[in-house]
Amino acid sequence: MVASCCLTLAVINLLVWVRNRREWANLLFSITALSMTVFTFFELWMLRAGTPAAFTIAIRWAHVPLLVWIASLAWFVRIYLDAGRLWLVWSVCILRTLSLVPNFLTGTNLNYQQITSVHRVPFLGELISIPVGIPNPWMIVGQVSTLLLIVFIADASVTVWRRGDRRKALLGGSIEFFLVLGLGQAMLLFWLNVQLPIIYSIPALGMLAVMAYGLSDDVLRASQLVDQLQLSEAELRESTNRMTLAAEATNLGIWIRYLRRDEIWANETCRGLFGFSVAEHLDIDGILRRIHSEDREAVREGWARAIDRDGDYESEFRVVPADGQMRWLASRGRVEYEGGVAVLSRGVLFDITDRKQAEHETDRLQIEIAHVGRVSMMGQLASALAHEINQPLGAILRNAEAAEIFLQDPSPDLIEVRAILADIRKDDQRAGQVIDRMRGMLKRNKLDTQPVEVTELVSDVVAMVRADALARQSRLEIDVPNSLPRVCGDRVQLQQVLLNLILNGLDSLQGTSRDDRLVRLSARLDETQTVEITVSDSGQGIPTEKLQRVFDPFFTTKTKGMGMGLPISRNIIEAHSGRLWAEDNRGGGAIFRFTLPVAERSVAV
Amino acid sequence: MNGTRPIVHVIDDDTSFLAAISRLLRASGFEVKTFSSATEFLAKRKVDDAGCVVADLQMAGMNGLELQSALAQAVNPLPMLFLTGHGDVPSSVRAMRGGAEDFLEKRAPKEQLVDAVRRCLARAASERQSRTEAHHLRARFDALSERELEVLSHVVQGRLNKQIADDLRIHERTVKLHRTSITTKLGVSSVAELTRVTLQAGVFPPFK
Repeated sequence: MVASCCLTLAVINLLVWVRNRREWANLLFSITALSMTVFTFFELWMLRAGTPAAFTIAIRWAHVPLLVWIASLAWFVRIYLDAGRLWLVWSVCILRTLSLVPNFLTGTNLNYQQITSVHRVPFLGELISIPVGIPNPWMIVGQVSTLLLIVFIADASVTVWRRGDRRKALLGGSIEFFLVLGLGQAMLLFWLNVQLPIIYSIPALGMLAVMAYGLSDDVLRASQLVDQLQLSEAELRESTNRMTLAAEATNLGIWIRYLRRDEIWANETCRGLFGFSVAEHLDIDGILRRIHSEDREAVREGWARAIDRDGDYESEFRVVPADGQMRWLASRGRVEYEGGVAVLSRGVLFDITDRKQAEHETDRLQIEIAHVGRVSMMGQLASALAHEINQPLGAILRNAEAAEIFLQDPSPDLIEVRAILADIRKDDQRAGQVIDRMRGMLKRNKLDTQPVEVTELVSDVVAMVRADALARQSRLEIDVPNSLPRVCGDRVQLQQVLLNLILNGLDSLQGTSRDDRLVRLSARLDETQTVEITVSDSGQGIPTEKLQRVFDPFFTTKTKGMGMGLPISRNIIEAHSGRLWAEDNRGGGAIFRFTLPVAERSVAV
Repeated sequence: MNGTRPIVHVIDDDTSFLAAISRLLRASGFEVKTFSSATEFLAKRKVDDAGCVVADLQMAGMNGLELQSALAQAVNPLPMLFLTGHGDVPSSVRAMRGGAEDFLEKRAPKEQLVDAVRRCLARAASERQSRTEAHHLRARFDALSERELEVLSHVVQGRLNKQIADDLRIHERTVKLHRTSITTKLGVSSVAELTRVTLQAGVFPPFK
């Protein structure tokens, strides 16, 4: 009965181990149970043995399964409790193995030098055999090994108890209890010849039961864990689904870059945006190859900077997939570090082609509107500019005519003729400059942002507007220090703003007496490292309630005005990260001011 | 004319054009003086200078038209020729009404320019001539006594000596003596001539 119990447990645990090869405890338990099964048969043999000779052989061979049993028990405890001193385990095993030597070579077996007689006593309604004989002193080796086993298990149980795992400590304690019981019985029987039946299998079975309980409890817990795991797995799947759904709905690409092995994982959308197939291997070079050559370096630098510095990564770039259609993509991510070393970066990718196109369209419209504004202003200036060009042209003509007359002389004054030619060249350049300036204003330019000298900006505009101011019998006063730093901007557009403000100023002077007609232009560097340019006039001024409205499109106080000059100017200045506003001049007239960022500083950032 | 040569006074705030046109006018045989602004010209000119003014219409400070009206107030106004970079009808109308000799674009043909300057100088000369004659005549009238002027005023009204003697309650012979003195002082030989110079000198207010 004991044997069948043991065998069942052995088979069960063997199966457990077979299904999960890492559960060594189950294998060892199985071995323990198996060896106990074999031992039980020897025990039965002994109980039934009628002669000392038969008993002797039974005991001798019973030591073999005993060895296996003790060794496997020791290792089971070591592995299952994950505690105890390893050298004790080895000592137990070695001593027990050594005990087989005297078992087979000295006396009759390890326990007896000689079995003198066999008593037949009734036990539980049956006659069983109990040996009587001279104890074998070598028996001590086996018993020391059992003692060491007890010590080892006690030590392991205490360790486990201290670790806080009461359940396993109790399990160790229980094994200990049955072990002590077995050893005590053996001592009484073999050393003192106390008439006890050899039934180690009973405490051993208890021990097995305890062990089986421990293991099955584990199985129970494991199954509970599996349930929980399944639950959280379901949750995880749900959240992954949700994220995938969200990512798909927003067409969001998700990527992870493993920095140690230069490998990139990307979801389907992400791959699609770059034009990669689902199975294709992704690495950084492959990705960079798909990025537009003009953006490639910036993207590479962005990544390097994110890894070296702040960990955050953000960039916008163009991608040219193999199928050709160029797209604008934006990528945002964060680098993750382990012990100060960047291990991976993780982020999202999305298509911003539409936004970029809209931006592009807005830029184009802004340029277009600014151009229309310039053309209309140049129209106003046309007559003054014709005058401006006729001046040098007239000078050239008169000089040429004078030279002709000089050359009719038999001995012409060549010095004078040379001076005339130099003047002609100078005037030609002057006329050319007027035309260049005019053409610059009429061209449909792309935005060209560069450091611009404020004094040059002002003098160019003044050159364009001077003749007009003259024709309107108005004075222009310029106060721009040479020491001003350069500003950052598009020269033509900034000229346009200045020109617009000056022309507005001149327009406002109509109806003022001649001596008071003044437009003043000044510039200064303010505390916030921006250049502030002011255009003030002595005209009628702007009522306070209209100071804002003058920047509304189509708002105009002029009979011929379109009402687009100021909104365009404000648009231009804001595109230059500056501000344009109007003030009422307390001394009469209006003041317009605008700010521009200093170029040197913006280069440094 | 006290040896004063006719001078073309060129005024333009564009120094380059000023140099060019003065070169051409000099080469064309004119005596030229240049000024870079109207105020400079007004400050530097001499009271009795002869010649004409060639001025840019649009100048900083005092412009051409303002110069024209300033000049018109002067004892010795010079005829003006206007130049402009770009034709401007209202200004040209004002200039011509103000008595300008001509109104030319800066790039007008040379011949037109030289002719205009020449005409301007000729007009200056004739105006100067008549101004001088009137001046001399005035000087002769200044020599007349008050009684003689009184008699003269009656004579040019065509009254007879007898009527004049009655009006002035003097003897007829005294009237004759005064008339002889007048014709001698004014250097005229007939009543008709006397009447003409008297009208020319504008000594009396217009008769009723």
